[in-house]
Amino acid sequence: MKKAIPVFFMCLILGACSQLGIQPWERGILAQEDMQLVSDPIEARLDDHIYFSKEASSGGSSFGGGGCGCN
Amino acid sequence: MVADLTIDRPTVLERNSDYWVGRFESMASPCEVLMRVDDELLAKKLLHAATTEAWRIEQKYSRYREDNIVFQINSAGGEAVQVDPETAQILDFAFQCHELSGGLFDISSGILGRAWRFNSTSTRPSNDLIESLLPLIGLGKAEWLSSSLMLTLPAQMQIDLGGIGKEYAVDRTLSLLSKLSQAPVLVNFGGDIVCSNNPDSDSPWRIGIEDPESPNDAQQLLELSSGALATSGNTQRYLIANGRRYGHVLNPSTGWPIEAAPLSITVAEENCTRAGMLATFAMLQGENAEHFLDQQGVKYWVVR
Amino acid sequence: MQLKQPNGKITNLLAAAACSLLNQTSTAQEVPGWYLDSAVLGYSEKDRVDAVEPVISATRIFEDGRKLNLTFVADSLTGASPNGATISDSPQTFTRPSGRGTYVTDAGDLPLDDTFKDSRTALSVQYEFPLNRLTRLSTGLAYSDEYDYTSIGFNATLARDFNLKNTTVSLGIAYAIDSIEPEGGLPVPLASTSLPWDQQRQGSDDDKTVLDFLVGVTQIINRQTLMQLNYSYSQSDGYLTDPFKILSLTDGITGETSGYVYDSRPDTREKHSVYWKTKYSRNNGDIVDVSYRYLWDDWDIASHTIDARYRLNLSEKFYVEPHVRYYNQEAAGFFAHSLVSGQALPVNASADYRLGAFNGITIGSKFGYRLNDRSEINFRVETYEQQGDTVGNPIGIQNNYELFPDLEATIIQVGYSYRF
Repeated sequence: MKKAIPVFFMCLILGACSQLGIQPWERGILAQEDMQLVSDPIEARLDDHIYFSKEASSGGSSFGGGGCGCN
Repeated sequence: MVADLTIDRPTVLERNSDYWVGRFESMASPCEVLMRVDDELLAKKLLHAATTEAWRIEQKYSRYREDNIVFQINSAGGEAVQVDPETAQILDFAFQCHELSGGLFDISSGILGRAWRFNSTSTRPSNDLIESLLPLIGLGKAEWLSSSLMLTLPAQMQIDLGGIGKEYAVDRTLSLLSKLSQAPVLVNFGGDIVCSNNPDSDSPWRIGIEDPESPNDAQQLLELSSGALATSGNTQRYLIANGRRYGHVLNPSTGWPIEAAPLSITVAEENCTRAGMLATFAMLQGENAEHFLDQQGVKYWVVR
Repeated sequence: MQLKQPNGKITNLLAAAACSLLNQTSTAQEVPGWYLDSAVLGYSEKDRVDAVEPVISATRIFEDGRKLNLTFVADSLTGASPNGATISDSPQTFTRPSGRGTYVTDAGDLPLDDTFKDSRTALSVQYEFPLNRLTRLSTGLAYSDEYDYTSIGFNATLARDFNLKNTTVSLGIAYAIDSIEPEGGLPVPLASTSLPWDQQRQGSDDDKTVLDFLVGVTQIINRQTLMQLNYSYSQSDGYLTDPFKILSLTDGITGETSGYVYDSRPDTREKHSVYWKTKYSRNNGDIVDVSYRYLWDDWDIASHTIDARYRLNLSEKFYVEPHVRYYNQEAAGFFAHSLVSGQALPVNASADYRLGAFNGITIGSKFGYRLNDRSEINFRVETYEQQGDTVGNPIGIQNNYELFPDLEATIIQVGYSYRF
């Protein structure tokens, strides 16, 4: 019985592999720096600060913008 | 003090017709990276990333060192060893391959190397020696707790990740290079090859498969525009005793070479890890190697 | 139970095993080493505020996946900002928020408080570490200090990968305590500015807390497409009023200004937002980045934000990234350009343009150049414009003026990144 578990586990992985998404070795493009969700964290931080101080909305994409007396 | 394998090792970067070739040595094999880029700086950067990764894996998983996880495991004397996540993934894979091969692929069988030395001066080992080693072989005797990353080997048992490490390094290196550039690249570590997917490219990589009878000529030229090739078998590694030729592929349950194993098997697959493992599995099938490969529906080349 | 010899088709099982072995590369940038990122932002409004903001950030990515980031931001601000009063046909005299001295705005001009001069320094530390092979915890501390404002914040986000790391679910919480101590003390909300100084002031300092929750899903769609969907909830409690803003009291028929009262806001605000983002890498290597945010709160503010970027890789070294952002905001329920004198005062009222109704449009481009395999410089230039809508009906002379103080700003940023 002990040995049946890994095989069952692999079947689960296989099922997952064929769903929405990609195989690990197909990540070349998505793994590039400019394909990261936030490709330039510094710019994102500066923008959060600008718009936090000029508009009534902030955040949404991450925790950002606050900690400032500018609004 | 063992030398740090990750620094101060020679690399060569050369310009070829329409690509750059970087060469270095790792895992006792000549390694090369082919990069279809114009920019020398980028080629340097890619080569640097490739050597860093290859040498990192070599240092981490070499069984000839005393400062790595493999040594920790092999010298634990029956105690549980906690491994890092990367090693855990490799162990998971090794245990799964052990299951899939019905026990024929076994990372604990390297200890048989104490009996079998495949070079021209070797002789056939004694039955007693082989029998004395068999109790130390068999992953079924190990306890691997994947969730808590704890591996316990019975005292004196050892593992050798050499059968996975090189193909793994090839795939990892390609994945790292793809992060740095979208340019077509090919990674070749001692004949285990993978290239980036470039279906649009009208200039695929040309690869020769070596003929064991005349290793200096390319026997067969094939074109690769995506996927991987890996080879199991080494035509230099066999011994002849009492008029019988013993190949270097050993059966972990008998301690003897697999009978009628081909000289080499090359398999084409999506990634190098898969290709390498299928080639190894096929090798372990002995005379049924071709039949096994036919069943898998993969492209392969067998030299007998 | 001994398994049979592998004489069946095992390629699928082997593929699955290899798949999980090679599935260690998450989508995050994770090449171990030190990363140094720096930038200076210049923000300049036409006739109003100028700001210079240098940032320096150091990130250490460890081989085992841990990640440590330290960021330092300085910020200096000078110039004038609308004080909330409406334009009038006659010159207007205002007492400075500190109570020391006055300034005069000419007839027909937008009243601007030109005493704005502030500098801020902020320091934050973020530490991310794997809990196991699929789960990561990121925690951070942030501290920000100004002459009259201090903020201390904490955040923690737990991320777990599913479906062979094609799906990532994140759960986050952040908490901040801010305290304000303006020079001259805090004004009594809605008190007339003409009252004796000690009657229009109450206490010297106050504080607010902000609690944020975020739930997010990131999904890899295919080799070229990545999608993110977040829901955020934010609750602010405490002193949310702007002590530097006032409202004009105007005649109900002529629209002429007769006096001023201080800004007054509720002491709680609950904010919700839904954020969706997609990144797509085209076959030629260009990258499309589009996001949309819908935000609403219990102050009756609702906003739409659409942000689009297109990264054009002109060569291995050089890229251009045009950027367009559109923002539309509905006014807070208690927003008013002015109040009518003689009428009962509402519970809350603010003429702060940032709580009004307006469209904000940003257009610009970023240019990046890789100097060598370790460093990159980039430059960004953008314009940001706010065009307001009039909320309610203008009275008398107010019909002759633009009640929303339209804004035009230029954003310039120079950045430099270096990898050790």
